[in-house]
Amino acid sequence: MDDRTDTVGGAARWRTIRGHAVLAVLGLLCVFPIYWLYATSLRRPEDVYELSPLPWPLSTQSFTDAAAKIDVVGLLANTTLVALLTALGQLLTGLLAAYAFAAWRFRFQRLLYLAFVGTWLVPFQVTMLPNYVLLFQMGLLNTLAGVIIPTLCSGLAVLMLRQHMESFPKELLEAARMDGRSSWTTLWTVVVPNLRPALAALAILLFVNGWNEYFWPAMVLQRSNDVLQLGLRSFMGTEGNDWGPLMALAGLACLPVFLLYLVLQRHIVNGFVRSGLK
Amino acid sequence: MLMEITGPPKAPPVTAERPSPLRRVLRGAPPYLYLAPGLALLVIWTYRPLTQTAELSFHSWNLLPTTPMVPVGFANYERLLDLPDLGQATLRTLVVILGLLPFSVLIPVVVGLLSRQVRGRGKAVYQAMVFAPMLVAPVASAAVWRWLLDPGGGAVNRVLGIDLNWLYETGSAQFSIIVITGWHILGFAVLVVSAGLAGISGDYGDAASLDGASRWQITRWITLPLLSPTLVFLTLMTVLLSAQWTFPLIDTLTQGGPADSTTNVYYLLWDYSFHSYDAGLGAAAGMLLFAGFGIIAAGLVWLAERLSFHDN
Repeated sequence: MDDRTDTVGGAARWRTIRGHAVLAVLGLLCVFPIYWLYATSLRRPEDVYELSPLPWPLSTQSFTDAAAKIDVVGLLANTTLVALLTALGQLLTGLLAAYAFAAWRFRFQRLLYLAFVGTWLVPFQVTMLPNYVLLFQMGLLNTLAGVIIPTLCSGLAVLMLRQHMESFPKELLEAARMDGRSSWTTLWTVVVPNLRPALAALAILLFVNGWNEYFWPAMVLQRSNDVLQLGLRSFMGTEGNDWGPLMALAGLACLPVFLLYLVLQRHIVNGFVRSGLK
Repeated sequence: MLMEITGPPKAPPVTAERPSPLRRVLRGAPPYLYLAPGLALLVIWTYRPLTQTAELSFHSWNLLPTTPMVPVGFANYERLLDLPDLGQATLRTLVVILGLLPFSVLIPVVVGLLSRQVRGRGKAVYQAMVFAPMLVAPVASAAVWRWLLDPGGGAVNRVLGIDLNWLYETGSAQFSIIVITGWHILGFAVLVVSAGLAGISGDYGDAASLDGASRWQITRWITLPLLSPTLVFLTLMTVLLSAQWTFPLIDTLTQGGPADSTTNVYYLLWDYSFHSYDAGLGAAAGMLLFAGFGIIAAGLVWLAERLSFHDN
């Protein structure tokens, strides 16, 4: 009997070790390119082709070089603005629409909900041309407003917020109505405070998506390259093999998202896994 | 603010005391008012362009505002089906989807099953590492992979001791794109599978093992069937989104080349409209794509409903 528990315990321990090993190898493989990106950016220019795993001696020369060739601060500011406004807009339209779907029963409800969720099936490339023409007619090509406005409604936000609101106790809404509060007051004084964690997680997710967005800014800002992803692309075209500064700029383009990730890891991961879309 | 009228608000079908029609309309209005901003944006930026693209697909137009659109009937569609491009691009899209399935389904399931015993802080650290590539902006990823795969000084060639120009040879370009995309999505899939596994109650396995089932039998006949909704979901995502995921990488790394070897359907569409200035052809390809993906998605959702085992 003792013998048996011993082997069972041994097998369990062996499986735990194997699990650790599998995850560790996979984790290192996944992180390596990111590590290499920052390692290269921190080497001295003459050491860029070194293969030593640690960048030593450290140098910020690559960052200085990149900053001399491209307006990094301006790009960071523009990208932050675009990502923030996009995320806030999507959060607001999503909140209002999800509230409508969760708090009322009305005609065409299913159809209208499908209209929101169905956006998922319309590929960007199918709608890009008419949207491009419309932005041209509105005079918004090559402006940040042209990047932001068309993205202000996200089917994903509606979908996720609706799920959260459906699980929200209906009695609270009913009680607020009995108190004589309008639906608008109820939304902001009862629903929003209770949904704060979900809203925060979604906001971060939308911000990261807005930050990393590529297609649409690439179409709208064809002449100016005013956001980081595009600045980086044009830098790749002109200084393509100047690896140090290129890695420095790419590293900066990811840095804000990584910092957010370090602080709010659990929320970000939960947001992505629950959204399941991006 | 631009507002699209979303149709007259409808009164609730049953009312207790029959107030005046105006009051009934007002009472039914709130949900529509809350929906209005989002719906207006959807109409303007998704469904209006969709119908316009449908219309454009029956016209010939070179994108210049000064030249009129010429109606051509089904000519664009006929041309599209006659050209070898679309068939080849579809085939390449399928190759990419098949190539990504190991990253989005197979490896995550194997890893998930092998690492179920790992819990707590350790697991959180590993997951944080595996998930990180998902957050790397596509252009930054293109930059770092071009550096890693650089034929002269890149780390990959020097570690492997070979001299392959990964992104500029027809054989390896598509492979590189698949691996880079796989690197992006792997962590996400691992987390989804791990969440799915965590949601499966251990009772079934315990009961089966009391009945003498081996660990493999439990995995094969209990765990995997219960995991099937997750697996269908990941497959659906791979099918629908793989061409989207690869697009920025193709656009920044290979521009569809070398010799069109990385041109998938989305890139072809982009190419028709913005490089060849053949808007009608691009629109026709877009409509076929929309219809095709719609049918595939509906089919997979139908399959998921029929095949999934629910843990009730």
